[in-house]
Amino acid sequence: MTHTIRLNVNGKEHTVEVSSRRLLVDCLRYDLGLTGTKEGCSVGVCGACTVLMDGKPISSCLALALFADGKEIVTVEGLAREDRLDRVQQAFIDYGGFQCGICTPGMVVTAKALLDENPDPSVDEIKEWMMGNLCRCTGYYKVIESIQGAARQQRKAGDSDEGL
Amino acid sequence: MSYGKIGQRLGRIEGPAKVTGEAKYTADILLPGMIWGKVLRSPLPHAKIVAIDTREAEQMPGILAVLTAKDLPDLLTGRLVYDMPVLAIDRVRFIGEKVAVVAAEDPDMAEDALASIDVEYEEMPAVFDAHEAMNPEAPLLHPDYRSYAHAPEKFFSDIPNVHSHVTWELGDIDKGFALAKQVFEHTFSTPAVHQGYIEPHASVVAIDPDGRVNVWISNKMPVRARELLADVIELPEERIVVHLAQIGADFGGKGSLMDAPLCYHLAKRTGRPVKMVMSYTEELMAGNPRHPTSIFLRTGVTEEGQIVARQAKVVFNSGAYAAFKPVPFVNIPGAKDAAGVYGTPHIRIDAYSVYANCVPSGHFRAPGDLQVNFAVESSMDMIAEDLGLDRLEFRKQNLLKDGDWVPGGPQLEEVRVAETLAAAVKASSWNQPKSQPNRGLGLAVSHRLIGTGEANTQLTLKEDGTIQVLTPVPEVGTGAHTILQQIVAETLFLPLDQVRVETATEIFKTDSGSGASRVTYVGGQVVQQAAGELMKLILAAGAKGLGCAENEVVFEGGRVVRSDSDGSLSLVEVAKLGGDGKSALRVKKLLNLSEGPPMTTFTAQVVELEVDPETGQIRLLDVVTAHDVGTIINPLGHQGQIEGGLLQGVGFGLLEELRIEDGQVSTLNLGDYKLPNIRDIPPLTTVLVEEELGPAPFHGKAIGESSITPTGAAIANAVYDAVGVRFHDLPINAEKVYWALQQHRGGKG
Repeated sequence: MTHTIRLNVNGKEHTVEVSSRRLLVDCLRYDLGLTGTKEGCSVGVCGACTVLMDGKPISSCLALALFADGKEIVTVEGLAREDRLDRVQQAFIDYGGFQCGICTPGMVVTAKALLDENPDPSVDEIKEWMMGNLCRCTGYYKVIESIQGAARQQRKAGDSDEGL
Repeated sequence: MSYGKIGQRLGRIEGPAKVTGEAKYTADILLPGMIWGKVLRSPLPHAKIVAIDTREAEQMPGILAVLTAKDLPDLLTGRLVYDMPVLAIDRVRFIGEKVAVVAAEDPDMAEDALASIDVEYEEMPAVFDAHEAMNPEAPLLHPDYRSYAHAPEKFFSDIPNVHSHVTWELGDIDKGFALAKQVFEHTFSTPAVHQGYIEPHASVVAIDPDGRVNVWISNKMPVRARELLADVIELPEERIVVHLAQIGADFGGKGSLMDAPLCYHLAKRTGRPVKMVMSYTEELMAGNPRHPTSIFLRTGVTEEGQIVARQAKVVFNSGAYAAFKPVPFVNIPGAKDAAGVYGTPHIRIDAYSVYANCVPSGHFRAPGDLQVNFAVESSMDMIAEDLGLDRLEFRKQNLLKDGDWVPGGPQLEEVRVAETLAAAVKASSWNQPKSQPNRGLGLAVSHRLIGTGEANTQLTLKEDGTIQVLTPVPEVGTGAHTILQQIVAETLFLPLDQVRVETATEIFKTDSGSGASRVTYVGGQVVQQAAGELMKLILAAGAKGLGCAENEVVFEGGRVVRSDSDGSLSLVEVAKLGGDGKSALRVKKLLNLSEGPPMTTFTAQVVELEVDPETGQIRLLDVVTAHDVGTIINPLGHQGQIEGGLLQGVGFGLLEELRIEDGQVSTLNLGDYKLPNIRDIPPLTTVLVEEELGPAPFHGKAIGESSITPTGAAIANAVYDAVGVRFHDLPINAEKVYWALQQHRGGKG
């Protein structure tokens, strides 16, 4: 059975025909062509498929596309503004927060949500928040440094240009 | 020495693409009309295929093709020995072996159709344990092994199911044991573990109307992949183009064709581009994990505590096929390190790679090294205790020295193991009094020879004055492309952004790809040499343009400058002049290094941990990892290799096990197969024992496979120090510790 859903992805409205069992990750990747969101484990453990739904991180491999009807979704493609990287994205480059990059879309989206909620997270708070994002390359040390770096940058810039 | 670009802490050149989601991995390739392939896998570990009925599946909606072995050429494939069918031919040898493949409009339809394929099997006796497989009465998995293409005769064995027996020898082992006052025997084992890359294997094949076969594949040696694919689909290599996508990590596991031949056959049958992506369950069931290994060590020690003889028997469970082993002896190279970092005059190591009805094993970062190091370094502590010697002093007394030989390696120069070990000890709390009960310290030391092989490049001075560096080595996540850029920029005295690293495969005939800690060493040298040659061409063309002799120009500030006057040319102008007025200035180069340098690199680690006696839970309190390093080309990437490898070593020591019961993998998703997460990381101190004497460009050394190796042993030794229980098998998880403590107390009580 197919359904028509309307969802807002990275600020853009989409109307999509999906089957009842279409997963959000497949809808984003194959119906909308947004392949930045990755699928790793398919069981909600690795976090590579993380997107923000109404500001909260979710595993898009566990969510049906139907759940996104009427919702606002932010994927990794929606973080940079006018070719300027989000601070979290820039910090992951500067501090070596990725190597192969397959977990990175999920990592930066999750980290972005953390800093939106808590602009000055402690290492323990970072670990608690990022626990659902697996990375096999970095050993996570530089993921933590990246998030701390982004947080510092964000605080230094103040609230004047929030979102950048 | 001080350099301009070498030694800079640089983010990746592919960084912006990776953090924005623009970077394309194989599964991200979307082509018009693309369809999906899915495979049906064997539920039995060893069986004859009596019949396969695909009629119902063929009639299902959206199904475009259903293929079985009878639809394919009667050919086998493998990274070296060709022993594995693309789809099972008459017989399945492990649970998870591919039996049939379906192509459909979408992956759900393909999955549905798989359930309708009816396979009639006749079960055969199976064998799962490598030692049992070596018994005379064991069922033979490959009675025709000796006839397989590329099976190396030199390593044949008469032992059942042993497809490769390799021996490394130094001195005379009998003489060695005759010199020994005491002889120790220890046995250890380690389980199958998965590489744990987050990107499952993916392949895409699209055939052009003119017959050109376009391939995207998560494979770290694409030039070799083209050669292997050409053989198994019976096409000339020239008809195949391998396009490079990003690779979502490799760790040694992505060197095979995996589903690419099936994509080709489905594409040929349907006339549509075909994509296949393994699910993570398929990865865990039928990927190519680290070999389950058992290691028997026999060690002869003199009265003075000198190790004089080491005999080792290392048995690798190869699984149902040898197809995932790339090395010429079709065995696992790490076995040669069974004497560890200790100068031992008499050594004999026998490594057996054995077929059994389990998932075929493959390479995983430092293949064999971790297994053997766990055994060697555990035994060092055990022997020291038996001899009443301090475990650190016993090690120090036996360390390798300049002029010593290592099995399968060179006579060593510049041996820096003592310094590396001392640095690790100094940075740890080794010399402090034991603080609390249930806490312990362990140490372990390892070494790794640098990898050899072939590397290619083509450097071109482009019209915009940039240098294009073409490499067939994909970026598997190690930062290789950034390092190649740094080496070329340094050699040509150019800013980094004037050097562009791009990938290409068509123009190169053979290449070893990424692996064996090879890329900075061999790939770095080939771009360095090519850059030197390109500089000569630039100077020659510049001199010609300036109307003077070649020895009258110099390269300064990015320009070719006449030394006797003001005349100069920019690289844009030189590029316009070209080599002979028309063609671009270009150097294409292949470097084949068959022999490594007389040098190895050492790692020493100290682990401090605490065991919860009630639950068996282990908490790592402190890890020190010390490395013998040369010039560090990119400190950010270098440290990333150390940290990532270390956490994989922690996983190997404490958590990870691909559980296999009667050939059935039972940890079939990443919930059951536990990879370390961000809360599992220990406090880490890295010590770099630097000296500019490595064999790589600018005196660098390899780092990629160093930190992962000694961690398992250091943990095991620390657990013994903490609670007095010696573990002979990994991982040392809480459950195992709990039961061992129960037994230990029972024994004492």
